[in-house]
Amino acid sequence: MKKYTALAILFIISCIIPYLTGNYTLRFATDILIFAIMASAWNIIGGYTGYASFGNVVFFGLGAYLTAIFMSEDLMHLNFFISMFFSGVICAIFAFLMGLPILRLKGHYFAIATLGIAEAMKALVQNLDITEGNSGMYLPMINLSIDASYKFFYFVALGVLIILLIITYIILKTKLGYGFIAIREDEDAANSMGINTTLFKSISFSISGFFTALAGSIYAYQQGFIKPEPVFDVLVTVKMIVMAVFGGIGSLFGPLIGAATIQIISEVLSDYFLVAHALFFGTIIILMILFSPKGIYDIFSGRKKIGMSYFLENIRKHRI
Amino acid sequence: MYLQIIINGILKGGLYALMALGMSLIWGVMDIINIAHGAFIMLGAYTTYWLFTLYGIDPFISLLAAMLIMFILGYIIQKGIINLVIRAEIFITLILTFGIEIFINNTALLLWTADVRKVKVAYAASNFNFLGATIPYVRLFAFVLALIITLILYIILNKTRLGRAIRATSQDLDAARLNGVNVSHIYAITFGIGTALAAAAGTLWAILFPISPAMGGHLTLKSFVVCIVGGLGTMMGPIVGGLTLGIVESLGTNWLGTTYESLISFTILVLVLIFKPKGILGKEG
Repeated sequence: MKKYTALAILFIISCIIPYLTGNYTLRFATDILIFAIMASAWNIIGGYTGYASFGNVVFFGLGAYLTAIFMSEDLMHLNFFISMFFSGVICAIFAFLMGLPILRLKGHYFAIATLGIAEAMKALVQNLDITEGNSGMYLPMINLSIDASYKFFYFVALGVLIILLIITYIILKTKLGYGFIAIREDEDAANSMGINTTLFKSISFSISGFFTALAGSIYAYQQGFIKPEPVFDVLVTVKMIVMAVFGGIGSLFGPLIGAATIQIISEVLSDYFLVAHALFFGTIIILMILFSPKGIYDIFSGRKKIGMSYFLENIRKHRI
Repeated sequence: MYLQIIINGILKGGLYALMALGMSLIWGVMDIINIAHGAFIMLGAYTTYWLFTLYGIDPFISLLAAMLIMFILGYIIQKGIINLVIRAEIFITLILTFGIEIFINNTALLLWTADVRKVKVAYAASNFNFLGATIPYVRLFAFVLALIITLILYIILNKTRLGRAIRATSQDLDAARLNGVNVSHIYAITFGIGTALAAAAGTLWAILFPISPAMGGHLTLKSFVVCIVGGLGTMMGPIVGGLTLGIVESLGTNWLGTTYESLISFTILVLVLIFKPKGILGKEG
């Protein structure tokens, strides 16, 4: 019961934030939500199913570009929500089909294959006429006042994140979710228990792809202009993974917590150290991996005693 | 015409092979995908650049200094950081090396700015003619050097005590430890050799192409392609992968245009992973 009260309070707070803060903070909150969507979507394939995708940015970039194409006045001129939905569906299908061959690969090979696909897609987008190559694409301007547009993107991102979390929650209660976790724990055993692992893995990957594409859609419409280099940047994938890990992979709210924490830390650091903040991002990654690979969620879950020995446990277990 | 294109591909392929050799060694022995590999190549390139610019030392001589410095750096990084979590899940080491890459790249950016620099050796432009194809001496020498370094590594791994210890650790960690191998030390040495090889590649890269702190990411990805295409676990893997990539890229960009270079290499990567995941030389199963 306590859990639901906390969630209800969180929900109410997130609904009134836009009416209390300025546009700068709201934009910052929207960025957190977009990253939270991506980190939570990565969590489905990387956290629950155990396949560490290193190329999820391909769905982000593809979602952004598909939305730009669907909305473009010269091409299709569709409404934003319809464009967003179709971008998601196309990316889900793409993920499913791509998943069939590459989800047979294990460990590093899967990670490299997804990375390769993301890089190949970037190179393709850089060379196609419809995406206007390296010069980038403009999206139609949003037909709202400046204040209203900030609120619009905030609520769209919030809505997508809530839907994603609800769907993840439902999946975890059904056979599908148990199948994902079984695959993560022992794929051969899952197979022999009658789980169609190929199908389950592909479904997991396509759900992940669907929501990452929605994040790309929102990003593209918010920016109004997209280019291949930033939307297919491998650093975006790394950010998703780092946020998911930092919050706690394989937990429902972990990625959200991770996204908020990492974004706030980077924001504060870049205020104080304009040039060196990327250096600190690297340092945070290294420290996190060494001392707390289970994430913040695990620290605050109250299940374990937190002390010096908690932070050294990882090293004690995995050093050589 | 085609002779020239293929020769260009082979010469570039030799450099690719050397680039990937260190990554392949680290990957094969410790099962670490070293995303920071490109950053080490960049550091090697800058070491050579500064030795040349400040003291006028010829790059082909400072190669050894760059390798030694990077060996020490690699040893420290493996011993002090990566060894601490080496037995965790695979993506843990993957993200860890990414953190190291971000750290190194941004340190380089702070120290040396984003300017593109070049090592201007006097003999850069001299070349000779071979059956109508032009071959620059520098490129040929870089290619031969890449092969010599591969050969030296082969001898170290197969004929020395150290090599035996590295191979033993790679095959069975616990058995190696039981036989008195200090595995933590061996891992650090292996990583050091890997970064020294990266430094060698960086030095040759600096002689042939312009360098900047951001050059690493792209070269890490290229090294992945070479490792995967050639196959892991054999000395010939990087050479076969490097030459394949060099020639295919050379021919492909000739037909499609230079903007297609990345598309070609990553398409090869994905196709090889789907149809022959163990690489050209790898054995099935």
